[in-house]
Amino acid sequence: MIDQVLLFAENRYARLVLVGLMVLSLQTTVFNDMRPFGVCLQVMVLLAASAGLARGSDVGAIAGFIIGLLYDMVLTTPMGLCAAVFATVGYLAGVGQSLVYAPTWWSRMLLGSIASAIGMILLPIASTITGATGILNAHVLFVALIVGLFNAVLSIPAERLCRWALTEPAAVR
Amino acid sequence: MADFSFTRRRAILLLSLTSVILITMDLRGSSVINFARSTFGVVFRPIESATKVVTRPLGNAWNGITHYNDVVKENHRLNDLVAYSEGSTISAIASVREAQELLSLNGLPTLAGIASCTAQVVGQSPSNFTQTVEINRGSECGLKVGMPVLNAAGMIGKITDVYNKRSVVMLLTDPGYSLAVKVVNIPAPTTTTTVAPGTPVGDTTTTTSTTTTTTLPRVTTTTGIPGFVPGVTIATSSTSTFAPLPGEVTVPIGDVGPNQPGKSTSSEITVPAGLDVPLRETGALEGRGIARTPIVRFVENQPRFGAVRIGSPIISAGGATSLAPPDIVIGSVSRVVNRTGTLGPILEVTLAANLKNLNFVRILLYQPSSERVATP
Repeated sequence: MIDQVLLFAENRYARLVLVGLMVLSLQTTVFNDMRPFGVCLQVMVLLAASAGLARGSDVGAIAGFIIGLLYDMVLTTPMGLCAAVFATVGYLAGVGQSLVYAPTWWSRMLLGSIASAIGMILLPIASTITGATGILNAHVLFVALIVGLFNAVLSIPAERLCRWALTEPAAVR
Repeated sequence: MADFSFTRRRAILLLSLTSVILITMDLRGSSVINFARSTFGVVFRPIESATKVVTRPLGNAWNGITHYNDVVKENHRLNDLVAYSEGSTISAIASVREAQELLSLNGLPTLAGIASCTAQVVGQSPSNFTQTVEINRGSECGLKVGMPVLNAAGMIGKITDVYNKRSVVMLLTDPGYSLAVKVVNIPAPTTTTTVAPGTPVGDTTTTTSTTTTTTLPRVTTTTGIPGFVPGVTIATSSTSTFAPLPGEVTVPIGDVGPNQPGKSTSSEITVPAGLDVPLRETGALEGRGIARTPIVRFVENQPRFGAVRIGSPIISAGGATSLAPPDIVIGSVSRVVNRTGTLGPILEVTLAANLKNLNFVRILLYQPSSERVATP
């Protein structure tokens, strides 16, 4: 039984789920109260982008999907919507990282910020496709700008967290 | 490389398919998805509660830094408001009771006859694109999807998701919110001609007023019909202040029969108000997101209804299929956007309830008559 638990804990996606739960609790509490310029900061999308930056586009897409699915559980949007969007964000962040020659800390911050902003634009588009009305307007760009700026600040620690969570099981041993 | 591309393509395909299947299931109201969300809530709430306790000082510090001045201003404003409201509260309560008695005497539904459940707001949506709050009451209190939610000021939204001990409330500002409402138009101002005692007929003062009932000793108020004012108690002196009109025969006081338009009498008459009763028109209230005020559409451009005035109250319309009972206060008209042709105006609404500071709310356990289960 203990062995099975340890085996489960060694799985990098299981670790990501636990990390995701922690970040989700921060998202629904402290980041929900802190609304600079009236915009709710989105650390879940940052986590998805950071997964792509830390481990590449493939892992980023899967990790983004898992993180988005966790977020879908507490939102009233259709289940799977954030999962699809965050998977795209994770994938794009990974692709962006692979295109940068000798990435530096500021290039990772920039990519995290851009990927988060893209996620904030894709989310209302996807919501509109699934039938929501009235949310695709100019305010989306403002939200994307604010979320992008604040996520840039948090992107370095978030990437380190994802790098640790998504480490291969062999490397953990 | 071929294997790598295949794996990547397969992974993307699988993720996309899973997303589409999940979205489809959720949009079709799958019980599996609801069960998954409910179960996740049971697991996640303790984690969230613990995090809330731990991060509360951080949140308080942030709010202290960013909102201190606003809180001080708000405090001053509320102190003034409390002082102002205390005086009018007693008369308002009396009026409401009288109105409810009248409604019940006539067999009409009132809010007093609807059971309710009080709840506290425990969280709000972390999304920037949906305006919802979470309350700490659920199906154990008899809540059902669609029930209207109010606070002391007025309507704030409706229940959209119900779990055992919590529910999600969609706020009026959410783009997905829609409700049938009534616009109670304030009567247009009437032109009142006041004749001071002893003033010659030609020397008159014209003022504008919106009052419907006035007692004017020695003063005659005119509307379209000379000398006839709905809802006005006229007490004239024994001496008429009017010069006789050309061709008019002056009849001595006391010889006059029933009250005649345009002529003063020695008796007091009270004409019941009728023409100045506020007119009502229905429309549909729609939310437009947190940064924009809700609007009312589909208000018919009727000449009888006239131009909608800023400040006109908006109340719920009720009806057999409406999710809210009639006459719940929603807000007032803050801006009127007129449109050409037969298109009615679009009304921007300032909500009576402050949706940024929600604490205790009341859920009316109301179901429209079309959805009630018939009792045997």
